[in-house]
Amino acid sequence: MKALFSLMQDTLNAAWVSRLLTLAIGLFFLMDLAPMEAVAAMGKMVGGGGVDVVNATSGATLVVQMVNKTMSDGKNVPFWVFCVSGSSNCHLPGPTLELGVGQTANFNLNVMGAPQEMPPYQGHTIHPHGLDVLQSEDGVPETGAAVLGDNYKFTVDTRYVGSHMYHCHVHTVKHLEMGMYAAFVVKAVDNLGNFTNVINQTGPAFDYEWNWVLSTVDPAYHADNAVGDSTVFADYNPKYFLVNGSEGLSKTAPAETVTAAAGKKIAIRLVGIHSVNGTFQIKDANGSSQSFVIYNRDGFALPSPQTVTSLEVNPGRTVDVMATLPAASGAWYPQITYKSLRNAAAYTNGTVYTRLNF
Amino acid sequence: MDVKIWRMFKRSEWYIAVLLLMFSGASWASTYTLYIKSGNWVVNGSGGATIKVWGFTDAPTAGPIVPGPLLESQEGESVTITVYNQHTLPHNFVVRGITTDQTQIPAGGNRTYVFTTSTAGVYLFSDTINSINREMGLYGAFVVHAAGGINKAWTNGPSFDIERLWVVSDMDKSRWNDIAGAGGTVNTSVYKPNYFMMNGMGGFDAMRAPNTVLQGNVGQVGLVRIVNAGQFDESLHFHANHFQIIDADGARLSSYEPGDTINVKAGTTAMLLYKFYRLGNYPMHVHTAQMETANGVYLNGAATLIVGQ
Repeated sequence: MKALFSLMQDTLNAAWVSRLLTLAIGLFFLMDLAPMEAVAAMGKMVGGGGVDVVNATSGATLVVQMVNKTMSDGKNVPFWVFCVSGSSNCHLPGPTLELGVGQTANFNLNVMGAPQEMPPYQGHTIHPHGLDVLQSEDGVPETGAAVLGDNYKFTVDTRYVGSHMYHCHVHTVKHLEMGMYAAFVVKAVDNLGNFTNVINQTGPAFDYEWNWVLSTVDPAYHADNAVGDSTVFADYNPKYFLVNGSEGLSKTAPAETVTAAAGKKIAIRLVGIHSVNGTFQIKDANGSSQSFVIYNRDGFALPSPQTVTSLEVNPGRTVDVMATLPAASGAWYPQITYKSLRNAAAYTNGTVYTRLNF
Repeated sequence: MDVKIWRMFKRSEWYIAVLLLMFSGASWASTYTLYIKSGNWVVNGSGGATIKVWGFTDAPTAGPIVPGPLLESQEGESVTITVYNQHTLPHNFVVRGITTDQTQIPAGGNRTYVFTTSTAGVYLFSDTINSINREMGLYGAFVVHAAGGINKAWTNGPSFDIERLWVVSDMDKSRWNDIAGAGGTVNTSVYKPNYFMMNGMGGFDAMRAPNTVLQGNVGQVGLVRIVNAGQFDESLHFHANHFQIIDADGARLSSYEPGDTINVKAGTTAMLLYKFYRLGNYPMHVHTAQMETANGVYLNGAATLIVGQ
């Protein structure tokens, strides 16, 4: 009930902030935006975490909005999130970008009205992390990226079919922590250019796929005075541990609940934005670890897939795994345990549960 | 050159000996003398500081350097290292994966280590008596090159065009270095490092240091040897291309694993191949919150540049 209440509060806060900022931005950029068409172009409206899924070729414009989240201890934490311009569906993490291999990404960032810092860390960018793009598209201010809005164009080859991420690269110690991140998935395509459901260019097909964006939150980094070159950023004490923006403190209050048909093949894309260590496992209702297969790391196919029951997901890394569901119905609990960078000790409340019904 | 030495060098037996060594694949024996000292280490730039350290140097009259002097040899080479402890506490000297002698060297004492470097790779050398000694700066890298000094990671291993060594580390100035450096007792249960270094430098220096910046022509391959001498695991993220991990903490991979971010555990090593794919300037940085900073100042932490030309 508490989790449900928190969710409602999040939604209401996000919705009001979204409405106000969208109204303001819309007055300035009424003609510039390509709002819901980009989302609708995918044929599906939500990905993991209830976020929009956007075709990266669509010319969509992303904006940055403040979203206040009420955490499990009742405290409010402000986040800055990417959001499809014109959409009221603003979440932590931001919308998933999907790009067909060989197709040309073409999307925009509009920072008018966005929450931001004072110089030298003003504005925002999009860094297509793991896509190995040209310097001009890399979103790094220190090497020349525009911070007051930009258009991003690039293509990738078949090696990149898999999971990546995008995030702001302005003062990343602050802006990543504030929530400016999301999944970026490169999809294989058929002869007509339609996305196909394979884990990598030569890998097996899956029936279901979900993005699990991993992140951690030190509320001190979110405070109003945590700006610029502050000693706040000399220490990191995460208090909240998230999958797709939710805490998921127990199996009965999971961060994410998804459903699939028994016996089918599932793919989970782990996107590691967190700033600590993390261990991913899939357990059944009795707590027994289930095997799964690692196919990609950092969006590139492994030389040989690896079958494991536990997987370390490190900061800045992505991992694509697959599993086959049992023939009989039941539930699995994919979960991530966040751990210290010093000694791999698990944090208090550091295990985030999700639930997979089949 | 002294005339007598020159005449001796000209004698035919010297020529023959030298030629035999060169073409047999054998190499010169390496001899190093190291001194353990206390002193100060400076992280330059905004957020930087003068930090009390204990470290190694190979210059008897100079202060310690962080990391310690680069030690090098080739596969199959005999190495002799004599360590003089000029500090007030006992220390030891261990090349992880090569030597096993953990005998303490008392203050004012010395110890000589003789060993053969049979396997090419990168190794951490450090004081292993406790975590404080390493955190204070008593660490460095030992690189064993392929026999003959050829541009291969090891004999019959993958080739490279350029090579770089990155020793990453962290220090908790106020709780560890200031306390231990003043003779106090460190509470090791609390470690909150606020300095994160790349080859002993903050990012502002490391992004300009020629031997640290990963620079090459598009199409060339760089061999990057990484030593994490710190207490925190570090995830190093490369822009502009994926790399191939060829060695994980001394274990050569039978098939190279791709990645754009490599996690190097505290006290371990890795080697990877990075092919220059893009023209231009790109960052390489650690992908965790405070580790990009020097006491909170952005990008003066564990970061450097990748330059494709």
